[in-house]
Amino acid sequence: MKWKTVAAGVAALALGLMPLAGAKAQDYPTRAISMIVPFAAGGPTDTVARLIAESMSRTLGQQIVVENVGGAGGTRGAGQVAKATPDGYTVLLHHIGQATSATLYRKLPYNVLTDFEEVGLVTDVPMTMIAKASLEPKDVAALVAYVKQNKDKVIYGNAGVGSASHLCGMLFMSALGTQMTTVPYQGTGPAMNDLVGGQIDLMCDQTTNTTGQIKAGKVKAYAVTTKERLKALPDVPTMQEGGVKDFEIAVWHGMYAPKGTPPAVVAKLNAALKQALQDPKVIARFADLGTEPVSQERATPEVHKAFVASEVAKWKPVIEQAGVFAD
Amino acid sequence: MGRFIRSPKDVGTGLLLIALAAWFAWLGSDLPIGRAIRMGPGYFPLVLCGILAALGLIVLLTGLAFGGDAEADDEAQRIAVPWRGILLVTLSVVVFGLAVAPLGLGPAMGLAVFISSAASRRFSLPGGALMAIIMVAFAWAVFIKGLGLPLPMLGPWLGGY
Amino acid sequence: MEIFDHLALGFSVAFTFQNLFYCFIGVLLGTLIGVLPGLGPVPTIAMLLPITFGLPPVSALIMLAGIYYGAQYGGSTTAILINLPGESSSVVTAIDGYQMARQGRAGAALATAALGSFFAGSVATFLLAVFAPPLADIALKFGPPEYFSLMVLGLVASVSLASGSVIKALAMVVLGILLGLSGQDVYTGTPRFTFDIVELADGIEFVALAMGLFGLVEIIRNLEDEHTRTVMVQKVQGLMLSRDDIKRIIAPVLRGTVLGSFLGILPGGGAMLSSFASYSIEKRVSKDPRQFGKGAIEGVAGPESANNAGAQTSFIPMLTLGIPSNPVMALMIGALIIQGIVPGPNVVNEQPNLFWGIIASMWIGNFMLVVLNLPLIGIWVRLLTVPYHILFPLIIGFCCIGVYSVNNNVYDVYAMALFGVVGYLLVKLECEPAPLLLGFIIGPMLEEYLRRAMLISRGDPSVFVTRPLSAVMLGIAVLALAVVLLPSVRKKREEAFKE
Repeated sequence: MKWKTVAAGVAALALGLMPLAGAKAQDYPTRAISMIVPFAAGGPTDTVARLIAESMSRTLGQQIVVENVGGAGGTRGAGQVAKATPDGYTVLLHHIGQATSATLYRKLPYNVLTDFEEVGLVTDVPMTMIAKASLEPKDVAALVAYVKQNKDKVIYGNAGVGSASHLCGMLFMSALGTQMTTVPYQGTGPAMNDLVGGQIDLMCDQTTNTTGQIKAGKVKAYAVTTKERLKALPDVPTMQEGGVKDFEIAVWHGMYAPKGTPPAVVAKLNAALKQALQDPKVIARFADLGTEPVSQERATPEVHKAFVASEVAKWKPVIEQAGVFAD
Repeated sequence: MGRFIRSPKDVGTGLLLIALAAWFAWLGSDLPIGRAIRMGPGYFPLVLCGILAALGLIVLLTGLAFGGDAEADDEAQRIAVPWRGILLVTLSVVVFGLAVAPLGLGPAMGLAVFISSAASRRFSLPGGALMAIIMVAFAWAVFIKGLGLPLPMLGPWLGGY
Repeated sequence: MEIFDHLALGFSVAFTFQNLFYCFIGVLLGTLIGVLPGLGPVPTIAMLLPITFGLPPVSALIMLAGIYYGAQYGGSTTAILINLPGESSSVVTAIDGYQMARQGRAGAALATAALGSFFAGSVATFLLAVFAPPLADIALKFGPPEYFSLMVLGLVASVSLASGSVIKALAMVVLGILLGLSGQDVYTGTPRFTFDIVELADGIEFVALAMGLFGLVEIIRNLEDEHTRTVMVQKVQGLMLSRDDIKRIIAPVLRGTVLGSFLGILPGGGAMLSSFASYSIEKRVSKDPRQFGKGAIEGVAGPESANNAGAQTSFIPMLTLGIPSNPVMALMIGALIIQGIVPGPNVVNEQPNLFWGIIASMWIGNFMLVVLNLPLIGIWVRLLTVPYHILFPLIIGFCCIGVYSVNNNVYDVYAMALFGVVGYLLVKLECEPAPLLLGFIIGPMLEEYLRRAMLISRGDPSVFVTRPLSAVMLGIAVLALAVVLLPSVRKKREEAFKE
């Protein structure tokens, strides 16, 4: 008897609240938006997310709260967004790992290509090939020869399976057609510690992590992995200049909403994102990190979607050839 | 049988440790082991399972081997297992886990506190309900308002988000 | 002297009204989240990062740093009062601190923790100011073999956490390591012991394990004989330390400070070891080691000092090298980047205001903490006089939200429930949970460093003995193990002879 009353009450409550749930897309946003970053707080992706979120919050008039849902190489956070209610109040800020996870994880509980609405690309963080200060080779050409000669006696450190530094290392080895000994770490911090301490030889990581060390002369910088030299590191040549052809990798970041998010909401998010990318404060901070926002043309859902597809295709053979999987 | 068992506790511990070692070994049985130079993910766990089983065996034997009189180990019998406590404490935590995402922090917290308070012999319905309400209010004030945890007080099932 | 100029600069920065204010906010918030079980400095600092956007870099960092070391002060409170260690370092404090509380000496335990932390924090900050750059170089000399040997030493020390059977303690350490290995293998990404559940891909959460094994188990045990005990503590004795207490804690505090200051510098988990190592040493040098585990004040004084000293010196790699030694430091680096400062070895020279300002603020912050915490002790102790049947459901509520808030992962909550039951069984079998927790913390690092050392040395195990630092530590570990095992062997033989 009592239970019936309770049940009736709950049903009435649910019915009464129903219209609220279907709030109109043009009013969006009416409350705080959570931006899931699938990595630990304080890392490079987290930093990019927070800079963008702060600027977008001002445009949208609602707070964007950055939530760190780390774990499983970014797939836990991405999976959470894929399954979230597609109302625009949950978005994902992920990096290149979104595309590589499609191959790295064979049992992914979501589909990278079909379970998300792309909002737009955010930035390409360049990478740098760095080495312990005492490593012999003087430049990229000498380094290539050195690695080819010493093969697995060269020790390459990375920040863990699926990390940007892992991907860059795979690409480098595949470009040279040789194998080094790969030593994974739990994140960039400990790997950098061992590189500066001379325990390992080589590492390729984002400028976010390496610029400070390079400028202080604690590590040797061989090359940047972008087409052109960077403003933040004008003395470091590109891989191309050093004779490693077609070697290009950047840790691109993009924003995603769950599949089924209304187009009007995605458009609003995209407009706010585009504005954030022109925010002088964002541009200045990005410059400190050795990067810059993507061009306005690239910060669109269409370009982003096509780009994710091309990146998935690009990395599939590299990962399969290396025979590394994360599950 | 009792004569061979000097300490039922040690025998139990030994058996438990050996069982755990076997269980972990079974769980890790399809992990690649590799070699000492390039250890696979299964190497270290397997070594540990071996050590754990060995330690379990030692504990088991110390419980058996030293024949003699059964030690004054009747303490084990004296203490009644607090089934009600174990059950309700565990249940309250599990209910919190089940409820926190669909119902939100408020109801989950209230349920957990209410259910666990029933574990005490001095439980009373109004007392438990009052404590649940106080704790929900406190959680709201400290965690949601004060510290700004990104947790909804009411979950999607109750009209929150 | 250059150092005086630097410190003068630092204090001139830290003593502005604004920076004093943010330092106070930081330590106050730190104390609060430290006291709340589960809620650690990492999520708090992450949530506060947006606020720091609008602050000058020095104020932002001063506040964030305050949260971190403030949490170290508060962290011991629940460990002592209700046997609920919210982070790895307070596991050790719970062992003797909680026993002291049960004997009505919670006030003395809390005062010891606060005073020890203050002394250690001040000394470590001084070391940080004077020796930061050379100390940072020591951290770089630690390669994988050295860390491996350090972890072995830590594991051997962990056996002394138990007061019962050595064999059972060893078994608990091994079981802890196995549990610690759950989750993705760092080297291949292969999931281990995860039952194919994505939420378990990162392994078991430490907070869930600790709260289950300590907090829930203690509640279930108290429910055993509920009718005989209505309040947890019958009589609460004096809140302050007696002259005898003070005499007893001086040496442990000094030893803990030295140990913590040194281990805190090492980025690879050194700070975590310091409180365990300190406990182990205190037990070893004590005239009456049987008191340990039953409420020895030395067992609170040493580890608490070590822990706080380590918290201060763990800033050294971050500030001087730009390398984060733990997740909190990684967040600080994130905060610096957001402020437009590129972290790295140049920060000391390019941003002297920031570097020396933070160091000076730490001393001020530690002073604020001790002033803040000592009066609070009276309130905490009164909490224990609340009837237990009212107290424990509230504790369970805090455990739930605390564990859930760590990762927003309900599997952590389930894990806590499971470990509550398992822990109760283990306690009934006279297997102590403290060594298990230490195995859990150290185990994964032990494996990681072992495999890394073997990879880098190309499978040559002699690196562990040919590198001097590593060899010394392994030597100490072997000696320590012999010392631990010998008495128990001798005892067994004596028993055998008696019969």
